[in-house]
Formats: sequence, C-alpha cells, structure tokens
Amino acid sequence: MRKADFIERLRRRLVELSCPLARVPRLIREIADHRDDLKQAGIAEGLSETAAEIRADKQLGDPQVLAEHLMATQRQSSWWGRHFVVTFGLLPLLAFPVMWLLLLLLQMVLAFALGYGWDVKKLHVAVNDPVTFQHVRMAFQFIDYVAVALAALLICWLARRAAVNPKWMVTACAVCSFLALFTWGQIEPHSFFVGFSADSHLHLQWLRGAIPLAVAGAVYIFQRRMARHFQEKIAV
Amino acid sequence: MKKTNPSFLNGIPELLVLRLLAQREMYGYQIVEEIRTRTGEAFSFGEGCIYPYLHYLETEKQVSSRRREVSGRSRNYYKLTARGRKRLEALSSEWKRVTSGVSLLMGEQYA
Repeated sequence: MRKADFIERLRRRLVELSCPLARVPRLIREIADHRDDLKQAGIAEGLSETAAEIRADKQLGDPQVLAEHLMATQRQSSWWGRHFVVTFGLLPLLAFPVMWLLLLLLQMVLAFALGYGWDVKKLHVAVNDPVTFQHVRMAFQFIDYVAVALAALLICWLARRAAVNPKWMVTACAVCSFLALFTWGQIEPHSFFVGFSADSHLHLQWLRGAIPLAVAGAVYIFQRRMARHFQEKIAV
Repeated sequence: MKKTNPSFLNGIPELLVLRLLAQREMYGYQIVEEIRTRTGEAFSFGEGCIYPYLHYLETEKQVSSRRREVSGRSRNYYKLTARGRKRLEALSSEWKRVTSGVSLLMGEQYA
C-alpha cells in the first residue's frame, strides 16, 4: 500500500470514529513519521525500499484497525473514556441537577448584578411593581432554559473530549432531558424556589425536557458537518 | 489507612515511558523500540499506539514536546517535565514496594 493511501485511510477512519478534529493532524503526522522510521529500519537491515515499505505497512497493520486501536488508547487515557458507561449513563443523574442549579444561580446573580447592582432594597421595590416583576419572571425563565442548555452542552463537550461514540453523548443528554422534566425553578416576589418533583405545576416543562435533546442533536449535526468539511478539505 | 493500589499494573506503561524520558529526549518510534529491547520484549506498545498515550501525558503536563529536526528528519520529541519527574518518583517507589512484596511471597527463586 502506498504511503498516501495508508495515511488517507487512517485519517478517514479516525474522523469516522469521532477523534477530536484538532488531534487528527498531529496524530497523522506522528504515524507518518513512525512509518518512515519503520521503513528506514528495514532498509538498514538490507531490505529494498519497496520491501521495507511493505514490511512497515505490515508492522503497522490495517489502517482501519490501527485507527480503532488509536481511539481505544485515546479513550483509555481519560477517566471519562475508561468509564464511559458510568460517566454518560449514570453521572448525569447526579451531575445534571448540581450543574443546572449552579449555572442558574450564577446567571441569576449576574443578571441581578447587571440590572440592579447589589441594592436589595431597590430590587424589592422593583418586584412589587407587577410589570417589572413580569419582566424579572421572564428573565428568570430564560435563564433557567439557558442553564439547562449549558448543562447539556458541558456533557456534550465531555463526550467529545473523551472521544466516545456519539451514542453516549445522546444517552447522557437523554438522561439530562429526563431530569429536566422533573427539576424546576420558580420566582415569586421576594422569594425563589427550586425543586425536584414528578408532578411539577410549571407550564412548558416539556420544553425544558426537549432542550438537552435539541442540544445533543445540534452538536451531533455540527460534528458531522465539521467532519465532512474536514474530509473534503484534506481530499482537495 | 494504608493506600492500596489495585490499578498499579495500569501504571506500568506510564512508568516505563517516564523512566525512558528521564534519561533523554526521545521521539515515539525510539520509545517503542527502547521499551521493546530493554524489557527483553516483555512489554511492547502496538506500533503507533504510543502517540495517544504521549498526548495524554502531555495534557497532564508530565511531558512536553517540540518539533525538532535531526539528521534531516523532523520529528516530535518528548521530554520529561518537573511534574513528570515527581510522578516518576511516586511510581518508582510504588513499584519497589510492590516488587519487594511479591518477591517476599514468591521466595528467592523468583526474586
């Protein structure tokens, strides 16, 4: 097999296996160097250039299998990748509510700080006005959705970083989606509630549930497009 | 409580790579060959499979890399960092503890 074919097949398979695109060029360059070293070792042992190249290819094996080994090593090199069932199947059950709550609180603090500074009296007077309070409530609702989306995005980022199969990203987002249906936050004049309930009285709870799945879908499509673009770019 | 380390065997490739890089700067092929020859072929990385592992050590800041040209060939060379040296010391002392324990159990014949 010619070097260009070998490298090209390896590159394609790495992209198909969800190897982070930023890592592909370096990995490919190092494997190409490694192949050259194997070839040079063969020549040093007295083989012809062609024979040395054939032996180097044999030593490296099928590029498709090599790509799978590379990805397995890549996954093994992170805790998330080694324990992907726990990370993407079970961890969201614990991590999602915590992440959501932290993000929600952080964004609320930011929103209030930007709008009112730290003047609590001014804030209390403001929420007594029904129109202002309606705006605050809408802002809270928006922040709540953004927090759910950000928690799902963090999980997608982790899946990408661990280089696991995209189905694990979707599984984790499905768990988040399930939890988003039952977690809730509510703001009333001078008070704020968060909770976990199977019979939430909040409207549009289904929308919260759909957010993590929508995020997973968008990230999956984006990754596919990026991978296709990457393949086209290197094919030119 | 005394710390147990059931995952120690998983740390052997890390120990070998860090030990080699403590001696000098090396590139991937060199590391694979050194491990193969100096362990009497008891350990060997699959050809090419060392790279994701080296990248992991680099993200953990245990090794650093740079592109370097030697004898007309440009390659990525890896070297140990201060953090890698500390990790190597920890792994080495753990290795000594494990091997002396195993030797005690197995007897002199296997020591």
